[in-house]
Formats: sequence, C-alpha cells, structure tokens
Amino acid sequence: MSQSLRPYLQAVRSSLTAALCLSNFASQTAERHNVPEVEARTSPEVLLTPLTVARNENERVLIEPSINSIRISIKIKQADEIEHILVHKFTRFLTQRAESFFILRRKPIKGYDISFLITNFHTEEMLKHKLVDFIIQFMEEVDKEISEMKLFLNARARFVAESFLTPFD
Amino acid sequence: MSIIREHTQATLSDAWRTIDIDALDPDSPANFDTATLHTALPDISEADVRQLTAQVRQLLRGGDAEGALRGCLETPVYATNTGTPAAVAAAAENGSGNELAREAALQTVVEVLQSIKASEMTPMLQRIYGSPGGSECLDVLMKYLYKGMAATSASAGGSGPRTPTRMTPQPTGFSQIGPRPGAATESTGAAMSVLLSWHEKVVEVAGLGCIGRVMTDWRRV
Repeated sequence: MSQSLRPYLQAVRSSLTAALCLSNFASQTAERHNVPEVEARTSPEVLLTPLTVARNENERVLIEPSINSIRISIKIKQADEIEHILVHKFTRFLTQRAESFFILRRKPIKGYDISFLITNFHTEEMLKHKLVDFIIQFMEEVDKEISEMKLFLNARARFVAESFLTPFD
Repeated sequence: MSIIREHTQATLSDAWRTIDIDALDPDSPANFDTATLHTALPDISEADVRQLTAQVRQLLRGGDAEGALRGCLETPVYATNTGTPAAVAAAAENGSGNELAREAALQTVVEVLQSIKASEMTPMLQRIYGSPGGSECLDVLMKYLYKGMAATSASAGGSGPRTPTRMTPQPTGFSQIGPRPGAATESTGAAMSVLLSWHEKVVEVAGLGCIGRVMTDWRRV
C-alpha cells in the first residue's frame, strides 16, 4: 500500500466507525413509514454534519450521517479519460446488481462515482466492523482493479493494432 | 354546483405535483428551526479574524507553534446561517452569512497545521488534550480538518480556467490537449496529506468520540 493511501483509508475507517451509530427512527412526516432520513431529508434536525475525507481533488469520500442511515459516496481516482470510462463501466456493472450488494445505492450522488446507503436495518443484521471493512476493502480493490483493467486494455489494443497492421507491413 | 371547477392553464398542467407542500406548512418537521439546537453564537467579523491571524503568525514566527494552534482553535468562527430552511435560503440570497470570516479562519488553521513538524504533532496534541478545555480544542481542530478536506477538494473540483484538470463529463472525445491531471494535484495532494496525518493523530489522542462530536455539533465551522 502506498504511503499516502494508508492515512486516507485510516481516516475513512475512523470516520465510518464513528458515523455508523444508527437507531430505528420512524418518519415524522408520514405515519407508519420508516424511511432513511438521509435520503428523505424531511427533518433537518436528524441530519448530521456531512464529513468529507479527501486524498486529493480526484479522490474523496463523502459521509452523510443521519439518525437512521448514512450515505457514503466515493469518488474513484481517474487520472485520464480511459480510466474515466473504465470507472463508469465498472460502477455501472455494480449498480445494476445493487440488490446482491445490500448496501449499494442504485445511483451515485452528484459529483461522486458510487454511493452506499447503510440503514439501521443493515447494522442490525450485519456486523458493524465488517461493514466498515467492506467499504475499506472496496476502496482498496477498486483502484487496483481499474489500473489492472487499464493495463489489459492497453495490451489488447496493442495486440489488435499489430495484427491489424501486419498485412500492410 | 359542480365539483369540477373551471380549468385554468395552471390546474391543467401537472406542475403542482412537484410543489413541496411540507415547506409551506410552518408546523411541518421540514421547517424545524435548527438554531434552537445550539447556544447563541458569537458574531465574529472578518476583521477580527484578520487580527487573530496576525497574532497567530507572530506566535508562529516566535516558535510557539502550540500557542498559535491553541490561539486559533479557541476562537472558532461558527456558521451563523442556521435556522429554518427558509431562513437559511434567505441568508444565502442576501449574503448575510459570515462565509469570508469562516474561510479566513480555515486558512489560518491550515497554515498553522502545515508549519508544524510531523514529529511534534502527537506530543503537542497530548499536551493540548491534557490541559483544561483541551478536549473542546481538539473537537474544533477536527471540525477544521474535515472542513479543510471538503474545501480544498471543492475548490479544486470546480471547473475554472485556473484548474484545467477537469475532465469532460461525457466521454465524447479523447482530448490530449490538457496537461496530465496528475501534475496539478501535487500541491493539493500535499496539503491533503498534512490534514490526513493530523486527522490520524487527533483520533489517536482524542478517540473516535471526537468525530462523533463533530457530526452531532450544530455549531459548524
């Protein structure tokens, strides 16, 4: 792990651990409803201060805590346009399968690449430290995945270009 | 009398469906006055912050980094634009918030943080934490750390002529004209890593409760 990645992930880990303190809270506007307050935004007093952890301008995490849910949005590192496309395809692949990831949000919030929504029901049936570990591991893996895909893409493009241009040699 | 009233252009369109009626009801939870969640905040003007910055710089030059850090953490500039959502919107419109003063205070804190050596961080934080009122100081420091990370990433993320690193939002073309994005991120990355290492040290000294207090405190810097 690179030198500057460790404090970044450590900051995200401690912020998440502190933020994942959720309790059951029924909607105050609609009777017998129980909605994630961070999404509904109907009661300003239960929305807590959003926290941003940033490594540089292209890599940051936004944690929006509320009484019964937190929303974590990740901006994945994109150094060039190829990586931009790869990140888009990769997050699209994941968000289309959002049910199997439980905490994944179908649509990222504006300015970020992927969002997670953890509600009190998730923390009741899953272990909190495992949820934090999952997010951290995702952040570690996704960078690796994207740079690996970029290498494969370049290798394949080179091979294709070579075989395409052989007849003209 | 018929139930069906006369139709106007306004009733025929379905624009009324998107009206947020909760915002119009004074008793609705959406109009909760968040100003009741904290005590009255002192109104610190930008001139006061400038004066404080000058004092802090003097302390820094004199080698008293701890005094400088304490100095700027003991008088944080809190956001005064709290209240009902309508009041916040009105304040944002006529520019009555103390944005400039808060921005200046953040700059001062970041400047102090950047001038302190990595080896001095932990002992200094432990001394501050052990002294009376030190826990509050570290909470304020944590608030500024998060604000610093949010502010630098937001200002750098905005598409301006100064930062040509912004990519085209749609992959419409492969423009190779702009400089490599990595080059400009060096300086912000360095500023960010200072804040990140401070974050780690503050959590070590003051614990996770300090992050919890940042989230739940309505006195936002």
